[in-house]
Amino acid sequence: MFTLPETRFDFGGDEYIYAEISRDMSEESNFKALAVTHELRKRQIPGILDICPSNSSYIIRFDPEAISAADLLEYLKEIDITKSNPSELNLRVRIVEIPIWYDDPLTQEYSRRFQERNVVRDPISNFELVMRLNGFSDKQRFIEAHAASPYLITMMGFIPGTAWEYPLGLAKEQIIQTPKYISPRTDTPGRAVGLGGAFTVIYPLQAPGSYQLIGMSAVPVFDQSQRLPDLQDSFFLARPGDIWKHRPVEEAEYRQIGRQVEEGTYRYRIKHVDFSTEEYFWDKTRYLKRLMEGF
Amino acid sequence: MLHIRDGGLQTLVQDTGRHMYYHLGVPPSGAADRYSFLLGNILLGNPFDYAALEITLLGPVIEVRKKTVMAVTGAPIDIKVNGQPAPMWETICVQEGDVLSLRSTSKGVKSYLCVSGGIQVPDVLGSKSTYTLSQLGGFHGRKLQAGDEIPIGEPLPGVFHHIGKRIPEEYIPKFSSSLDVRIVLGISSYRLSDEGLKAFLNAEWQVGLESNNIAYRYFGSSVSFNPAEPPFGAGNHASNAVDIVYPIGAIMAPSEHELILLLRDATTGGGFVTIGTAINADLDLISQSRPHAKTRFLSVTVDQAIEARLQKKKKLLTVQQLLR
Repeated sequence: MFTLPETRFDFGGDEYIYAEISRDMSEESNFKALAVTHELRKRQIPGILDICPSNSSYIIRFDPEAISAADLLEYLKEIDITKSNPSELNLRVRIVEIPIWYDDPLTQEYSRRFQERNVVRDPISNFELVMRLNGFSDKQRFIEAHAASPYLITMMGFIPGTAWEYPLGLAKEQIIQTPKYISPRTDTPGRAVGLGGAFTVIYPLQAPGSYQLIGMSAVPVFDQSQRLPDLQDSFFLARPGDIWKHRPVEEAEYRQIGRQVEEGTYRYRIKHVDFSTEEYFWDKTRYLKRLMEGF
Repeated sequence: MLHIRDGGLQTLVQDTGRHMYYHLGVPPSGAADRYSFLLGNILLGNPFDYAALEITLLGPVIEVRKKTVMAVTGAPIDIKVNGQPAPMWETICVQEGDVLSLRSTSKGVKSYLCVSGGIQVPDVLGSKSTYTLSQLGGFHGRKLQAGDEIPIGEPLPGVFHHIGKRIPEEYIPKFSSSLDVRIVLGISSYRLSDEGLKAFLNAEWQVGLESNNIAYRYFGSSVSFNPAEPPFGAGNHASNAVDIVYPIGAIMAPSEHELILLLRDATTGGGFVTIGTAINADLDLISQSRPHAKTRFLSVTVDQAIEARLQKKKKLLTVQQLLR
């Protein structure tokens, strides 16, 4: 298996406990965050209000009038130490396909509009910036690199339905990374695909944002209109622990999928699988290949 | 029913907020100044979580279509019923056909119009609060406009016997242009240098113009980061951390010259260095501070934060007792 550094706990005001598993991002840290929060959710402790796994940490919101902050902290430490074995986290998860039009005109336009808030002021698009910072000169090769990996949903947050995606099965040096805007954009188009740090996110709706925009998802990740059959039980496409797969599409197919979404006839490509962290760490490449078969 | 003739700058349906969906990115929303909002419901004998209208700076003009009892609380605002001045922090009776106009606030930002029986819009994810960023809840997920018809509950039994009830003066909040915000330091404050942390605590900050229910921005001083490399996966700027779920009240430093403090409509996750978290008892005060208001951040312990919270709750319960 693997070992993890001891989790560092902090209070966030009088209502939150923040647990930092590691300062860096790693698959191990996220699997631990998922395992601890999963266990905590099962226990249904009165006074705990929200349980949120995040990338390499987790936060718990509690009612300090219902449960002692000090007691809860002790309790969490115990779960964190004894119940964070990722081998206990064998989850039924979904693999979901996300069609993306990379380097589209809309995200190019937003790159120009908010250039002065970005890390460089050169008149290049966010897409070109990310390519350059990651040593790509060929657009197709970059797109293939971004779309090749399955991505783990490591956390949700920001605005309703935003899911952080972290590429599975790659060594750190293979992961595409990028700085965020220095000052957040005041606007981002809904369904824009953004990169920040080692993560990919799809903006559920029009919102502020600080990630570099590299394309547009043809499908929504949040929808409260209940038009789409796959989003009728929940407004949210993502669940922490799920796996997403990006598929590059050209403009024509992007527009065709868009029409199906509008009409409410679009069906997401979804496959249900049992994910075993033990098997994954035993042989990542082979396990992912088997998991993603026919996808 | 309330017939809206003019929606004002931003009038929203709010209650005590939306809970249990934070892990899917849904912030609590709800009344920005919870204390003033709750005093309105207490005046009317409404349950604490009954929905009211939250008014920002410039209020609406409303034609009342049902005889009922109301109360206006929060930021001082000019109220007229059929052109005649009416008091704040007091229960007032309105007749069918009365025209209520709430115009500009002289201090503070948020006023509340509470109605006996509450504003009745459907619950979305367990709350009537409006979260405008995702057009969720409230009245069609948006601010009120001319022509909107807002359903209200039946006046509660006995409420007409309590017209003219008033909140005692000492329980009415002060709306100041200079405030102290208590915070619990931590989360990724280790990414600031010692001087940076000192500068953060010693400086007088100013509320920026781009401040709203989502977040307040502060300018006027600067912090400095530690020279150490940002951790793997964070992005390579000194202000980048691996993205976390933010607590409500989190104070981030996206750059050395700007602070962002998250309020109840917060973007609930992100990857900026987080210095600490404003205590729950001070969120009301923050959301009532206007652009250019002077703000100092005071570091307190978790125990002090909980004590402040309990004091505030005690105040509300005392008012409830006094008005019974």
